[in-house]
Amino acid sequence: MSVARPARCLLSKRFAAALKPAAPTCNAAFHSSARVEARKKQRFQSIRAEEMGLTSPEKVQKYTEDNFQPYTPEEIEVLKKHYSPEQMEALEAGEAAIDPKDLTIQGRLRRDPYQIPYLDDFSRLAPVVDKRPKKHIAPDFTKIRWLSENEFINDIQKFAKEVDAPQAKTWMEGKLNDPTLSEEQKEWVKGQLAKITAQADRAKSLDGKHGDAEGLDLLFERSMLNDDNAPSDTSLAPSLGKDIPGISGIYQNPIDPEDQGLDDEGIYQDLKRRTGLSVREMMDLTVKILVVRMVHNQTRLGKIRSVWVMAIAGNGNGRLGIGEAKSVENGAAVQKAKLLAIRNMKPVPRYEERTIFGSVTAKFGGTIVKLDARPPGFGLRVSARFFEMFRACGIHDIAAKMPRSRRPMNAVKACFEALTNQKDPNEIAIGRGKKLVDVRKVYFGGNVL
Amino acid sequence: MGLPHIANLCSHLQNASKARLGLTSAPHTKYNLSVLLSLQKAGFLSFVTRGGPLPPGPHDPPEPLTSANVARQRLWVGLKYSDNAPVLRKMQAVSTPKRPITMKLPDLERVARGWDTNGRVNVRGLNMGECLFVSTPKGVMEVREAVERKMGGLVLCRAGP
Repeated sequence: MSVARPARCLLSKRFAAALKPAAPTCNAAFHSSARVEARKKQRFQSIRAEEMGLTSPEKVQKYTEDNFQPYTPEEIEVLKKHYSPEQMEALEAGEAAIDPKDLTIQGRLRRDPYQIPYLDDFSRLAPVVDKRPKKHIAPDFTKIRWLSENEFINDIQKFAKEVDAPQAKTWMEGKLNDPTLSEEQKEWVKGQLAKITAQADRAKSLDGKHGDAEGLDLLFERSMLNDDNAPSDTSLAPSLGKDIPGISGIYQNPIDPEDQGLDDEGIYQDLKRRTGLSVREMMDLTVKILVVRMVHNQTRLGKIRSVWVMAIAGNGNGRLGIGEAKSVENGAAVQKAKLLAIRNMKPVPRYEERTIFGSVTAKFGGTIVKLDARPPGFGLRVSARFFEMFRACGIHDIAAKMPRSRRPMNAVKACFEALTNQKDPNEIAIGRGKKLVDVRKVYFGGNVL
Repeated sequence: MGLPHIANLCSHLQNASKARLGLTSAPHTKYNLSVLLSLQKAGFLSFVTRGGPLPPGPHDPPEPLTSANVARQRLWVGLKYSDNAPVLRKMQAVSTPKRPITMKLPDLERVARGWDTNGRVNVRGLNMGECLFVSTPKGVMEVREAVERKMGGLVLCRAGP
């Protein structure tokens, strides 16, 4: 670009500017809200109350007299009919304490369409706003208990007096065949039954309108407690308290003295029965959490988040198990997974109790795990999760490779499959009808582990 | 050259054991016969016998081989199963018609010990219970026997549980 060019451009621009009319300023509104200056400026000048003469003492006096009149003697006479002398005294003291002028200046009388139609009227209940009173009083929780057998029979008898109750009769007839009742009790029941039948016949002869619906009342609506079938403040049955006679003490978690107080919550009791291990042995196992995932169930109400946990358990001596569990609560999932891992423990064949038999390959999903036996002292040259697995089952020399996918869950599962599905040399020897010799053992004259 | 037949034999035996067959047959060739006999010697097969298109009876002696019936002869072999699992599970040709693989003694020694070859050819070391069959001047034999007799040769196939 030459030096002359910018100058020429400059000149031509200026020339063009001189010829052109001035660019019109844009008055269009870019925003829907009003401009700042428009917002600030008021369309009408505000007039103060003082200038209108609203705060003058005469006006205040007039407003007070219009709105806050003291009680007239007639009104006081009416009030005296409704209130006690003490209440009247308090009312007058309250009236005297508040200056009507203060009400005018500081108070506010609402005149908007949404004003509450009363100042303080508690004589009526407004629906939604006011809490509904309970129709009935609450039962006495200290004295409530189940009906005894005799009380129950009395109750049914009472009920049967009220209506014809085939269910009551059926129940009593059933009781007659009950072998646990003594002869005296049976005689008594028989007498009651005869009475009920007579009453029912009488009621039927009077009018035959009672039917099975009343019998259902006995089953569904008759109270089984000693509250005399009284109406209660709640539709729920009253709580029975902790010590219910005949029931308390039956359903207790039996604590096995063999556990030495290690499992008072009974977490390991089911496992103990299934596995035959003692609680101490189970607690001594190596249990590790290897994989934790957050999983979601998409429902029409939204996502339900849960925690998925995979745990392993091993005794360090050739047994290994995997447990996977899912729960909304992390702690619950962890505990479930650990217990399942202990439950699923399987034997893992080990060569010389330190490595595996030959090379093993297992595939789980897209994951392939290749395990190779290694000489003594080689160590666990494997990934972190596999390290935990091998340590848990007591393998000390091994090499592992994952040539394909390395997803944690599939890796652990494939490794477990590889470990548990090793070929057994004895099985091979039996199948082939050949003698398989451990050359290492021969070389060292049997002086190996 | 019987190498294509060896590859076919390997696949066929693998398929037959996957299908849990008790008896199967292969074309009657010299290579097939020697490989099957070595497999039987290694304990992978229960028997190897010559027969016609139909399987021979358990006590039938094989009919004498003549130029008239030689084309219809087949090799009938019995497969073995132990603990509800086939004894011969994997069988794979090492040499292929396109690439025959011969190995000398040092390489065979390595492979027999379970180590991979580190030279001209690429053969994986033997795993536990695996066998490698080599065609030597003294006939087809297992790799351990070949090493014992200090002979190399054409590596035919490997078989394992």
